[in-house]
Amino acid sequence: MAASCFVLRKQTRLVILAAFATMLVQIALVAQLPLDQPARLLGLTLNLDPLGRLFLLTFLAIGALAFLATWSVPHGEQFVPVALVILGLSGTTLLLLQEQYTASLLLGSTGLLAVLAIVDLPTGSSALVQRTTLATALKYLVLMLIAGVIMYMAFVLVSIYRPDVTPGGSSPAHLILALIVVGFGLRLAIVPFHSWLPDLVEDAAPMTTVLIVAVVNAVTLLFLISSIQFFFYPVEVIGGVENARSTLLLLAIGVVTALLGGVLALAQASLRRTIGYLLVYNAGMILFGLATLDSVGLAGALFETLNQMIIVLLLFLSIGLLERPDGRPLNVVRRDLLWRRPVAGTGLLCGGLALLGLPPFNGFAGKLLLYEAAARRGGPYLALLLLATALALLALLRLARERLLGPSEEVADEFPPLLGGTDLDRPADRRLEPEPRGMAVLIVFLLALCLGIGLYPQPLLATINEAIRGLTFIQPL
Amino acid sequence: MSFSDINWAVILIALSGALILLVRDWRIAVPALLVNYIGVAIFLAQQQFLQPDLHIGSVAVSTTVLVKLITGVAATAILAITALTFSREYNQEDLDEFSLAELRRAARRAQRQRAAEPLRLADYVVPFWALALAVLASVALPRIYPIGTTNTIDFVWYWLGLVGLFTTVVASDILKVGLGLLLCASSVDVLYTAISSTVQVFPLALLGLVSITLALAVAYLSGLLYGRLKTLELNELYKR
Repeated sequence: MAASCFVLRKQTRLVILAAFATMLVQIALVAQLPLDQPARLLGLTLNLDPLGRLFLLTFLAIGALAFLATWSVPHGEQFVPVALVILGLSGTTLLLLQEQYTASLLLGSTGLLAVLAIVDLPTGSSALVQRTTLATALKYLVLMLIAGVIMYMAFVLVSIYRPDVTPGGSSPAHLILALIVVGFGLRLAIVPFHSWLPDLVEDAAPMTTVLIVAVVNAVTLLFLISSIQFFFYPVEVIGGVENARSTLLLLAIGVVTALLGGVLALAQASLRRTIGYLLVYNAGMILFGLATLDSVGLAGALFETLNQMIIVLLLFLSIGLLERPDGRPLNVVRRDLLWRRPVAGTGLLCGGLALLGLPPFNGFAGKLLLYEAAARRGGPYLALLLLATALALLALLRLARERLLGPSEEVADEFPPLLGGTDLDRPADRRLEPEPRGMAVLIVFLLALCLGIGLYPQPLLATINEAIRGLTFIQPL
Repeated sequence: MSFSDINWAVILIALSGALILLVRDWRIAVPALLVNYIGVAIFLAQQQFLQPDLHIGSVAVSTTVLVKLITGVAATAILAITALTFSREYNQEDLDEFSLAELRRAARRAQRQRAAEPLRLADYVVPFWALALAVLASVALPRIYPIGTTNTIDFVWYWLGLVGLFTTVVASDILKVGLGLLLCASSVDVLYTAISSTVQVFPLALLGLVSITLALAVAYLSGLLYGRLKTLELNELYKR
């Protein structure tokens, strides 16, 4: 389908419909797949567990909605074919989580392909690719390749490492831990390896960002959990009572990432970069939940990842609509976005609140679990995470005050024509097209979904709790 | 030590890696990458990590090693063709007058820069010290952190990884970034083949595919960069 869409890429509407239909067919196929029944293909073990199915279905649903969104939100000529390949590779990675080498290489390939979507221009565009966009694409390419190489290296070392035998007198456990932190840190935008994420949010098309943050990063997190379960925990690199230091290191990195994400979000002048740093904050929160290695923290991290996928789509769909031409020059800073585009403005504001875990949105239950896990670890952790959330909330409120809730800039021209002038001499009315109805419906649907999950999170939480019950590295509470 | 005791494959890998890190001219760096791939293939065949299953004349080689060599040749060819053409012309009839004017300005700036920049020794200071650091680290690390069964194996993968990383860091143009990343990929390839307890075909094939995809991605970005700025120099990309 990706190849067909590439050939027909100039027929934008047709390609979007074909891609949407592909997603629906895949959702139907995944829903019928048997769970926990490994199959062998080309020497590889493919397996789909309940958690994998939940995430795979969500990826496909997010993909389908992102394709629909491209109907109105600007996107590159090759977005649909590249997105189809990325979704295909992400799905394959989910099925091959136990094949560490193959999964890390598939993730690396996904990163390389995403570069094509970042530098993509719309069909028949009269503009050049921006320098900053090229710089962002190059940065993403280099960092993702290095992340892939480092992860692969970590897995090779794990495959030969035996905790009880240390050839040459030196244990590679610390080297493996360092490689894991750098490799996965680069992919998940963990401080200090986060710089690509705000750049990407700033320079890439909105739906490209959705694809990378909501799908590729979520697969990376699932791969990390699977790797801890099958590779890192058995050789005592991460987890276990004897190896508390590695856990403490990951906890500290999670807290620092959340704090720094909040602080840096507060310091941004650009709307997109603020959202980018809020995503860095959330990456820190998720890493913290995972690093607690207990059932509450892990459930919180997974629930938060699932929520983030929906919220990111809502946020970037709203940003895409807010950035549509409104008759004012491009360099004018818009301060009244909520009044000009009420649905998209509400989507951005509520999406931001959901990302920070404020009730009654879907992020609340996930964040509550993360705070509970932090409290179990000790008061300082809880205080630091709450401080990070407070900083992120301040950043969001600042963004709302400066960009969304400012006074309306549409001043009715009540003055009569000047002496000697006629009505024809008046400046033309500013063109403000209404929000596309389809996109407005999509935003309302996503908002309702956020509210629905926020008010009734039990079914999703039950599925997640059931799925993580089998993980051996989880410490008893 | 006699002449026959010298491991020529390792010498090839070391020298070609050093050349890639040091030189700025793609006419030397890209062929050096090809020599590096040939050196790695000879090294893997010589160490017998993979059982030979193919006879070419009197030489027995492993099909996997041959596939690695072909992958390397393909990746090098992609970069060489990119370097030769250096351009992806936009459909200029689609561009507006501002974009066309910007292209003309970029072309003039690139031409001026090319004319004003003859060979400058100062450009080689950082790569030289990076090379010195890579040599020291590649000799020391196999002793501090021995991973493979012999020092030679450790030297080769550490060398490829470090030289690749340093090349990416000190690169002044996008093609050289690509060369560095390909060396990093080659490093894990050697590590996996030499050390992994069971070498699976699928990851090896995927590693080859990653190398080719990487070369294609670098070629695509090079084309876009040249089309936009009429040069592959990275400092032009970051100018405000």
